[in-house]
Amino acid sequence: MDNLSKKYLRPRKIPSTACSGCGLGMNHKAVVQAIYDLGLEVEDIVWGTSIGCAGRQTFGTWKGDGFAGTHGRVYAIARGLRLVLPPEKKIILTVGDGDAFGIGLLHLIHSARSNADFTVIVNDNLGYMSTGGQYGWTTPRGSKTDSSPYGMYEQNLMSDGMDVLGVLRNAGATFLARHVSMDGQRAVESIRKGIQNRGFSLIHMVYPCPTNFGSRELGTRDTVKIYNWIKKKAAPLGEEKENTLWATGIYYDASNSRREFSESIHRNIEKIRRTGTI
Amino acid sequence: MKRYLETGNFAITEGAILAGCRFFAGYPITPATELAEAMSSRLPQEGGIFIQGEDECAALHLCVGAALGGYKAMTATSGPGYILYADPYGWAIGSEIPVVILNSGRVGPVSGITGAPGQGEFYLTRYPTQGGNFETIVLAPNSAQEAMAMTVEAFYLSERFRTPVTVLADQLITDGFEDISVPESDGEMEEMGFRTWPRKINRGPEFYPAMDEIDVPPVVLGHNTGALCSDWTPTEEGYDIEQVQAHHKHAYRLIYKVRNHRSLFNHLYEKNFMDDDPDLVVVSYGTPSRVVNTAVKKARQSGLKVGAVRLINLWPFPDEHFRRKTKYLSVELNWDGQLVREVQRAAPKDSEVHFIGSCGDLPTVTDLIEAFERLLQGQSLARRGWELEEW
Ligand code: SF4
Repeated sequence: MDNLSKKYLRPRKIPSTACSGCGLGMNHKAVVQAIYDLGLEVEDIVWGTSIGCAGRQTFGTWKGDGFAGTHGRVYAIARGLRLVLPPEKKIILTVGDGDAFGIGLLHLIHSARSNADFTVIVNDNLGYMSTGGQYGWTTPRGSKTDSSPYGMYEQNLMSDGMDVLGVLRNAGATFLARHVSMDGQRAVESIRKGIQNRGFSLIHMVYPCPTNFGSRELGTRDTVKIYNWIKKKAAPLGEEKENTLWATGIYYDASNSRREFSESIHRNIEKIRRTGTI
Repeated sequence: MKRYLETGNFAITEGAILAGCRFFAGYPITPATELAEAMSSRLPQEGGIFIQGEDECAALHLCVGAALGGYKAMTATSGPGYILYADPYGWAIGSEIPVVILNSGRVGPVSGITGAPGQGEFYLTRYPTQGGNFETIVLAPNSAQEAMAMTVEAFYLSERFRTPVTVLADQLITDGFEDISVPESDGEMEEMGFRTWPRKINRGPEFYPAMDEIDVPPVVLGHNTGALCSDWTPTEEGYDIEQVQAHHKHAYRLIYKVRNHRSLFNHLYEKNFMDDDPDLVVVSYGTPSRVVNTAVKKARQSGLKVGAVRLINLWPFPDEHFRRKTKYLSVELNWDGQLVREVQRAAPKDSEVHFIGSCGDLPTVTDLIEAFERLLQGQSLARRGWELEEW
């Protein structure tokens, strides 16, 4: 991503300190590509990150303003920031699956509920990989991790007919999509649409972690093996096969259909200030 | 100046607005709910933002987010909510975000009694988050009027030091009705000793000022300065770095930017009858100090050589008031004894330091005078001291 990275990223942080072969860079690149495609500039975006591989490896990469929040709370911080930043400033959050769907799920749901205008990219390495590899809330059933040595047997947000995007849709999110990091241009397009939605958007992007997930589940750190393993379990929506874990594409698009959080609050405040009532 | 017969919650709301607070995020909890309610009605009138969080942890994060966007922000709670601030409080300390927090103490532990005053968070306000390597600023008013003044002061200090400041009150201060004067002009504010400090925007990308420097504008996002803000160990430019030397600088700064500028707030105390080197010094803060003051005055009239020190600035702890070797008595709204430990630490080695606690009720003037007499006669405190009598 040479040209893109020159335009948007800080030389000091790129290349990142992620393990070699990590798929996170592909997700990161898709986000930056979508920003470029939309014609946005460095100053148009405030970039927030969480804890874990996804957060730490993307923190401080954006040339513009950025912050790294506490574990799982970046959605509440972003809502506070959303209320006081001008509406044309975009907020993009790159976070991990543990952060968004575990510790931060309450705050994420309330962000969807309020339809706060920011775009969350959930980079899903299928568990807690920066701490060495423990199962999370999207880890496929039966997968071996350091905390599921017999195979993961807990019900989670992606098992038994559950879909975390369904939870968020019912909570009020207005744009939801899912991809795997090999989706390339299709993922870029979804991210673009997510950023364009003036409301809560979330793109769930599964990516391969050869170091911890791959080595425990597949018994090898071979990058190609884990890439293929993920690719095989993904299929575009409508073309799912029996073994499909991740149906990719736009899951729900109600862009710009509900009043946005900060717009709604400011409109009411303005009215109260002028007339003393709503 | 406008006068009201109103609650401490009203006074704090007006103080915050005078200080320039235009963002409040709260979560209902007795006895701080009325403050959130007052804010919900007053802030929109001033063009400010009121919002409820999904819990206290979110509420303070919302405030910190707004502060990062350049707003002066505040939240309020009581003990069970204050404990949920641990996460954002630490983040604000580490990333040096100014924000103001009101804690209206009730009786603990945990839910305890909601409708009675307590002082169980003396140490919690010193260590409101994990990890250590920081100093906190805590102010403890003892009336509604002073709660307004200390709210203004808290905003002032939080801006200058780039750190969260807690105003530690209790249920009687926030809920009680008192005579309150609200200044109506800058001149009146000055007359009343209210100091304000504007929010400034850090125009350079540098996150990390030198060592103990203060008055450095905080990081504000959204102004294209390329500012970075995180709770990681920062490098000069704000990148995160896992390096012990860099962390030494960071920790030094978080401790000594406060400790080395104590002169800015060490006038925040009150001394009564301390001029003749009394044989017993009664130490307190918040609501009990009002009973203490009456008791000390009465004891004086009957010839007891007693004096009183009331702390308004609790942290960093003002050791300088405890240099003299004499008898000390700490009067607190808890039974476990918290302030007393700090007095023991600060007082000369072989000073006698005693303690009277109460749990959900206030000490009476009679109780206190009896205690003064016993201590001055060299007797121990049988009731409500370190060793409680059996029920
Ligand atoms: S542990 Fe896995 S997810 Fe994390 S940086 Fe390494 S390869 Fe990527």
